[in-house]
Amino acid sequence: MRYVTAGYVFILVVLAVYAVQLVWRRRRLSQAVDRVAGPFDQDRVAGPVAATAAGPRTEASA
Amino acid sequence: MSDDVTTTTVAESAGTHPAAAPVSNTRVTPAPAQSSRSKAVERTIGLLALLGTVATVWLGIWVTPPDKVQGDLVRLVYIHPGVAWVALYLAFGLAAVSSLLYLWPRTRSLLWDRLAAAAVEVGVVFNVCTLVSGSIWGRPTWGVWWAWDARLTSTAVLLVLFLGYLALRRVPAEPEVRARRSAFVALFAAVDIPIIHFSVNWWNTLHQGATVLNANLSPQIHGSMAWTLLLGFVALTLAFVWMLLVRYRIGVLEDWLGANELDLALAERQSEGAAPANGGSVAGGPVDGPSGDRVGVA
Repeated sequence: MRYVTAGYVFILVVLAVYAVQLVWRRRRLSQAVDRVAGPFDQDRVAGPVAATAAGPRTEASA
Repeated sequence: MSDDVTTTTVAESAGTHPAAAPVSNTRVTPAPAQSSRSKAVERTIGLLALLGTVATVWLGIWVTPPDKVQGDLVRLVYIHPGVAWVALYLAFGLAAVSSLLYLWPRTRSLLWDRLAAAAVEVGVVFNVCTLVSGSIWGRPTWGVWWAWDARLTSTAVLLVLFLGYLALRRVPAEPEVRARRSAFVALFAAVDIPIIHFSVNWWNTLHQGATVLNANLSPQIHGSMAWTLLLGFVALTLAFVWMLLVRYRIGVLEDWLGANELDLALAERQSEGAAPANGGSVAGGPVDGPSGDRVGVA
């Protein structure tokens, strides 16, 4: 029976560790994307009101 | 997996940002978002996989009877063929089909490359579980941890081939170049899948023949043993689907960072030059890149 236990424990531990690692990697990358894209996304959401508040627009942004 | 994004420029997306406005030629795609529905589906699949796995372990260890010939060792059969099914047929099969779809000009899309990469990574984990659990079963049954049996050897060869696939993907290259050569390697490796499946018929092997998918399609397992085996297949398939979804999402995020981090860093640099009084802090410091490197966005 110890071989059976060893087999089950190995498979379940490997799959569990891999699953946790996947979730951790996804969370870390999501946070990285949020940090990089955050300011641009916020500006897009802010719309023309923020544009007015930001002062005259340059030729490139018009 | 609906992560389609439209391209826009920094100037468009950050048109209101006084610092970033001068950067008109830098193209940045919006950050890939995951819909709440897709999150709910993912959570449901994950929960079902967990429940199914717990039920399989409970039935396999405590409920089903010992086998007349194998005794308690038969309990490993409820989980070993399941992980082998996922690794050899689902994961590597999906990787082969996705690679083919990438290479086919009419269906060429990096989506298929991303799906293949996700399937291979998950498949490698299941393949390791297949080999180790088979070895643990073989020690008391055959008297050895490993035998150069046709099925064992061809399965080990497949693991090495797909480890090579993952190593190849780490070689720096343009996404299209990486996708193309990865697809060729995946198709080459997939030739081993039918060899593994038919190895027990083509050669005299220690490994037993097919119990369920045999030539007569008449399963040689019955009653609670059959249902537990079936449940194990379903639970591990669900676990595979959940891992594939999460791993695919990781690929989407990695690709987005890889495609945009340089543009965003350039935008940041130029905005610093355009508005020095602003301080120019757009991205908020260094972040972890897709390969774990520190990516300077300062």
